[in-house]
Amino acid sequence: MTSKTRTPIQLRINGHRHELEVEPRVTLLDALRDHLGLTGTKKGCDQGQCGACTVHIDGQRVLACLTLATQAESRDITTIEGLAGEDGTLHAVQAAFLEQDAFQCGYCTPGQIMSAVACIREGHAGSDEEIREYMAGNLCRCGAYPHIVAAVRQAAVEAAS
Amino acid sequence: MTVHELRTRPGDAKRGDASDGAVLADQVGGRLSRVDGPAKITGAAKYAVEQQLEGLTHAVLVESTIAAGRVRSIDTAAAKASPGALLVLTPDNILPLRTATDWLGTPPPDVAYCPLARDITFSGQHVAAVVAETFEQAVAAAALVKIAYDEAAAIVDLSDPKAGDGIPVDAMTKEWGEAETAFASAPVRICNAYNTPREYQAPIEPHGLIAKWQGDQLTVWEPSQWLDGMARTYAEWFGVPFENVRLVSPYIGGGFGSKAFAYGYGAVAAVAAKMLGRPVKLAVTRPQTFTAYGGRAATRQTVALGANAEGQIQSIVHRGVNETSVDGMWVEPLGSVTSVMYATPNFSSRQNVVRVNTVVPGALRAPGENPSAFGIESAIDELAYEVGIDPLEIRLRNYAEQDPHAKKPWSTRQLREAFAAGAEAFGWSKRNPRPRSMRDGNQLIGWGVAAGTYPVRRAYGEAVVRILADGSVEVESSSIDMGQGTYTILAQTAAEVVGVPAENVVVKLGDSRYARAGVTGGSRLAGVMTGAVHKAASAALDQLIGLAISDPASPFHALQANTLVVANGRIASPRGNGPEVSIAELLSSVGREHIEAKGDTMPANSTVEDRYKNYTTIAMALPHTEGDYSRHSWCAHFIEVRVDEDFGTVRVSRVVSALDSGRLYNPKLAESQWKGGIIMGIGQALLEEGIVDRRHGRIVNNNLADYLIATNADIPDIEVISVGIPDPHSSVLGGKGVGELGIVGVAPAIANAVFHATGKRVRDLPITLEKLI
Repeated sequence: MTSKTRTPIQLRINGHRHELEVEPRVTLLDALRDHLGLTGTKKGCDQGQCGACTVHIDGQRVLACLTLATQAESRDITTIEGLAGEDGTLHAVQAAFLEQDAFQCGYCTPGQIMSAVACIREGHAGSDEEIREYMAGNLCRCGAYPHIVAAVRQAAVEAAS
Repeated sequence: MTVHELRTRPGDAKRGDASDGAVLADQVGGRLSRVDGPAKITGAAKYAVEQQLEGLTHAVLVESTIAAGRVRSIDTAAAKASPGALLVLTPDNILPLRTATDWLGTPPPDVAYCPLARDITFSGQHVAAVVAETFEQAVAAAALVKIAYDEAAAIVDLSDPKAGDGIPVDAMTKEWGEAETAFASAPVRICNAYNTPREYQAPIEPHGLIAKWQGDQLTVWEPSQWLDGMARTYAEWFGVPFENVRLVSPYIGGGFGSKAFAYGYGAVAAVAAKMLGRPVKLAVTRPQTFTAYGGRAATRQTVALGANAEGQIQSIVHRGVNETSVDGMWVEPLGSVTSVMYATPNFSSRQNVVRVNTVVPGALRAPGENPSAFGIESAIDELAYEVGIDPLEIRLRNYAEQDPHAKKPWSTRQLREAFAAGAEAFGWSKRNPRPRSMRDGNQLIGWGVAAGTYPVRRAYGEAVVRILADGSVEVESSSIDMGQGTYTILAQTAAEVVGVPAENVVVKLGDSRYARAGVTGGSRLAGVMTGAVHKAASAALDQLIGLAISDPASPFHALQANTLVVANGRIASPRGNGPEVSIAELLSSVGREHIEAKGDTMPANSTVEDRYKNYTTIAMALPHTEGDYSRHSWCAHFIEVRVDEDFGTVRVSRVVSALDSGRLYNPKLAESQWKGGIIMGIGQALLEEGIVDRRHGRIVNNNLADYLIATNADIPDIEVISVGIPDPHSSVLGGKGVGELGIVGVAPAIANAVFHATGKRVRDLPITLEKLI
């Protein structure tokens, strides 16, 4: 709490290297949003309960609000901004979310999409039941759940074919 | 059954949302995907507090830890000395503000307003705030503020012995016939009490703002359901002209009623920005969202139904109570559904409010209608069992052919159609009426039905529509999109009227510098704004065609046509003779940069003051019973639950809902909103409850792990069926409300299903396992 020393760190985000100076207590979520302007990753609770801040570190889904920025050094961080192709081509999960209307306000959406990409990669999208269970850590207050399930199912089928 | 199939059944071409197969996605009634979708799925959509500003500072609130009493002293020394701390605000050093007009337009008393409290009336009240260079420094410094209190006894909730019976709210009284006498002499009488707990909006985007002053000009980036109303509040707090305040709210991460007003923390941030001369960001923490503004008040109702042996209601006697705060007033109208759902010759509804030590409660999706429906729709189910009639049949026997309270015909009421379509899709006819008659292993299965309704709230709106040099169309409004689909349906409206593809329409919302808009609440915005955009776009089209016909430089000038048609961005003679040019080519040939038209649906003789009042208060909203009709949207929910016989856990396994929202402007998005309401209703029925610590009067589950909302794993597939028909009395384009309707009636449908499954009637939400075992 009393350490105010700013530490220079390097973060590799969406394939790009970023250098910044942060206090050791700065979370990855605040580093992304407040220090690097990558506001696609959302803060919904700041206490690991809602899933809105879900990003990938070395391909695994993690909660950026419960991860210190320094813990993510020298690891590959992927955020929602890095999911589409360089030419803007949407990731299959993004396209499915749009087609299935799997969101309303859009605030939980980046976390849902990052979770969905990992859910499919983990092999946890084999059935609607399984999708519901493995997507249950991402809260959606607008209630888009059935459409999220449909989008994950659609993207999983596409990924398998 | 999908909406689409229902619409196109033979001989029924005029039904519903006009999505009869011929409607293009681009047009009103088409299933266009969200036009704001690409920004939201790529992370490009910047929400209000995500603006990156030079010199931004960070504020963190310090809240009371007692529910009643007085602040004796505040020790700010350690906080001030904390690294990075810039300012510690307390009631002693905060700039005095003025009291602002409330949302009803009531002139404010001439007293100072202080958003930081010395006198404590609820736990979690703002007492101090710390501003620092970084968020982390502000959090650390805020933890060092030491507050000493003189604590007094608090009234913790409605069940507190000190709470009393409360204050009668005469405006809520609705009576006709001789209700008490008729009830006393009815052959069949049931009378029960129904309770709902404190519930919270819990939008996933927490509240907060960035405030920045430039001289006496204030810019506020804040998620908002009402830019103009909130701008007025900020302006009045600081005594600056309304025009000096700019509210910016491009995207809103969910509101559900909670983001329509400027709250105390907004005043704190704006004061801090003024005192520091630097922009201040104040992000309300998730725990603070449970007390920085109010959720749905806890309610208590008694519903007495007198009926004959055939189940025909002879009298309804309804008494309700909701909690409000010690120094604020919130009335949750508990008789709203009770008084319109069923025909009865005798009726009485009265309501009290009870003051307890809480933040003043607020609006949460269908305030009033939601708990009201839990009472009456549970009670009629109980009556059905009492007289041995199917719960669906008893609703039809008591069907209200006109508004029983207003004594006016319905504008449209497709509730009978909703019952029929829902029952057919659900398979209701296969239901064994006996409780505990259906099971699957150790799971008891129950089927329940309940109806819902929400009044059509109408208001006046305005919009600006521009046709630009490149042939694209721009729509501007200070209304907002918090997920209902405003961006999309206004693009469809302008596209259809002007005659361009929707992808050539840019809709700009969420900035108070645009054409003004009233509150986004009460499910009114879509009807208001499609009407305003339709009018503005029609005026712009008239200008365009006028130019094409009469401007000497126009290629149509020699044609001497009376009119021209615009389709797919191209202008031509309706007969097909003469030239065909694009809008861009026409504007270029006549030398115009753009065409602009402002349209509003205000009465023709409206003054500047009328307009200000219309957009910054709700004083000019039109009652749903104004004129010759009573206007409501309607729905019927059919729900299956599975209750574990040993553990009492309830799972919703199937939902079919048939809904009448009139014409749907975009069925794809309306279906999403309906389902969202139903899902919130499932959470309300089974999970949601603010739990009060009786010793300290505080909400102990003030976070998203302990205040349970439905997760993906709690929700089955949900089928929604549109049974609406265009309602010309409700809006310009024939729609009725969508957003709030879906939740109304879900909780009683689940409670009724739980009774069918278990034989146990739960009248106290949420339906948790200890109430069943």
